[in-house]
Amino acid sequence: MTQAIVVEGLRKKFGHREVLHGLDFAVEAGTVFGVIGPNGAGKTTTMRCLLDIIRPSAGLVTVLGQNPRRAGTSLRRRIGYLPGELHLENRTTGRRMLEHFAAISGPVDPRHVNDLADRLNLDLDRQTRKLSKGNKQKLGLLQAFMHKPELLVLDEPTSGLDPLVQQVFHAMVREAVAAGATVFLSSHVLSEVQQAADAVAILRDGEIVTVSTVEALRMAAVRQLRFNSTGTNAHDVGALLARVPGVANVAVRELPADGHTTGTVVATATLSGHVKPLVQELARLNLTDLVLEEPDLEEAVLTLYTGGADTESVVGTGTVGSAGSPRRPEGADRA
Amino acid sequence: MPKILPLFAKALTDSWRSTLGWAVGLTAACMLYLPLYPSIGGSAQMQDLINALPPEMTKALNYDQIASGPGYTQATMFGLLGFLLMSMASIGWGAAAVAGDEESGLLELTLAHSVTRAQVVLERALAMVVRIAFLSVLVFLVVLGLNGPSQLGIDVGHLTGAVLLFAALALFSGTAALFAGALTGRKMYAVAAGAAVAVLGYVFNAVGRQSPDVEWLLNLSPYHWAYGNSPVANGADWGAVAGLFGISAAFIVLGSLALRQRDVGV
Repeated sequence: MTQAIVVEGLRKKFGHREVLHGLDFAVEAGTVFGVIGPNGAGKTTTMRCLLDIIRPSAGLVTVLGQNPRRAGTSLRRRIGYLPGELHLENRTTGRRMLEHFAAISGPVDPRHVNDLADRLNLDLDRQTRKLSKGNKQKLGLLQAFMHKPELLVLDEPTSGLDPLVQQVFHAMVREAVAAGATVFLSSHVLSEVQQAADAVAILRDGEIVTVSTVEALRMAAVRQLRFNSTGTNAHDVGALLARVPGVANVAVRELPADGHTTGTVVATATLSGHVKPLVQELARLNLTDLVLEEPDLEEAVLTLYTGGADTESVVGTGTVGSAGSPRRPEGADRA
Repeated sequence: MPKILPLFAKALTDSWRSTLGWAVGLTAACMLYLPLYPSIGGSAQMQDLINALPPEMTKALNYDQIASGPGYTQATMFGLLGFLLMSMASIGWGAAAVAGDEESGLLELTLAHSVTRAQVVLERALAMVVRIAFLSVLVFLVVLGLNGPSQLGIDVGHLTGAVLLFAALALFSGTAALFAGALTGRKMYAVAAGAAVAVLGYVFNAVGRQSPDVEWLLNLSPYHWAYGNSPVANGADWGAVAGLFGISAAFIVLGSLALRQRDVGV
């Protein structure tokens, strides 16, 4: 079995309202697959279909080689699930809750539970109603991870967690994958997924906009570029930037001579795609300052959310960030 | 090690507080009503008072039979306050078992673990049966304890039958609530279904006893099936025992089938 999850033509209707319009995707075993999309895009509905909590209206769902509808309890023992809206009982402690789920989905090594609780810095003997949102989320993660499942289905796993605990979570995901598990997680923000995921599906209004690797998204994403150069003029710098594929939104101005070295040019632009051609061109200049920012994947994804029908092909060629930019200089079109 | 019936065990331990509360309430009801029998039910003055009441009212309240100890126990404890308390407990549990759990968002996580939906319904129904059995045995023991001191003169065999019907009647409305909850996932519908069974059963009995014209209503009343022949005085109608338990069992099975068919938590 090389694919942990296969979803083909998945549709889900609630009454007359269809919320999933035929999803197709597959998750390779031993990888981390992220689904991102705004609230209401269908992430939670998709995950609930994998767990047989709700039933597809049409389409085929295969989880660990089995149909969740027919596989029954043995399949769910191999899955760890964190619901998007985690509700815990009030009159219990974390330990009693975990013991109950261990009794159902066990066997669970109690030392493993204590280890995870220590790492997440979670007190299992506190009443659950007194736990903060973050601590409840930790408990939810613990019940998903504790029986070392082959597949983890985690709906917004980092919501409510502080950055330190998020790092622990990412480590837990890496360890699970190293041990052969597959992780399927969702988020409404890419930054939470990009660190963990090998592949990312972008879901919008019940449809998959694209399935892409984080690397490809990074290529598609837009970086802000800013540099100063001396001994040149605005026209030359503009022409130089125009030769670089993926550069857009170029703004170049010469600083007035007084107080500066003559011929100081300040340029800003955006870059999508490969960095190397830009660096090669910039090497010709006498740079006094250079800033190339971390790509804003959020921006790339937002473009996909709102983008037109051609977004899928655009991702492939890595120019999504500049597509349709009105201020795009000539020459950049060669990308 | 997988434990045996984990959901059943959890349902029982989770509800010990409420079970204890209902136990206190039922015991108090017995202790308040039954010791008064020598001074109320058995006294000539009280009988005069009851004779002075409109006959429709005495029939509706089953007070036409309170001149005897078993009749008094039947009318006041099993037929009125005890019935009310047991029905409330049972309907509450039945509605909470699936619909309440689902509305609070807890059922989703339980079902994501290694359980079947039928198992959830059956184990929780079993926990409800055990709680009702516990309360019924308690009532049996308290009434038995008061039998002598309060001069009730109840036959132990008849009391056994009456308590069985007392339990069966509560289970009937409780499983109706469970079934409606498993079918709809809405606690309000579950409570409404259970309460409808209990209240309409009581009302149909009270109205049906008023005149031969509306006697047919008695056939629709689970309350009348159970208590129509005053079991504390005359012993149980075993057909009614079997019927009430049988329909309750059917509600449980239907509930487990209903939950298997539908989406949860939507």
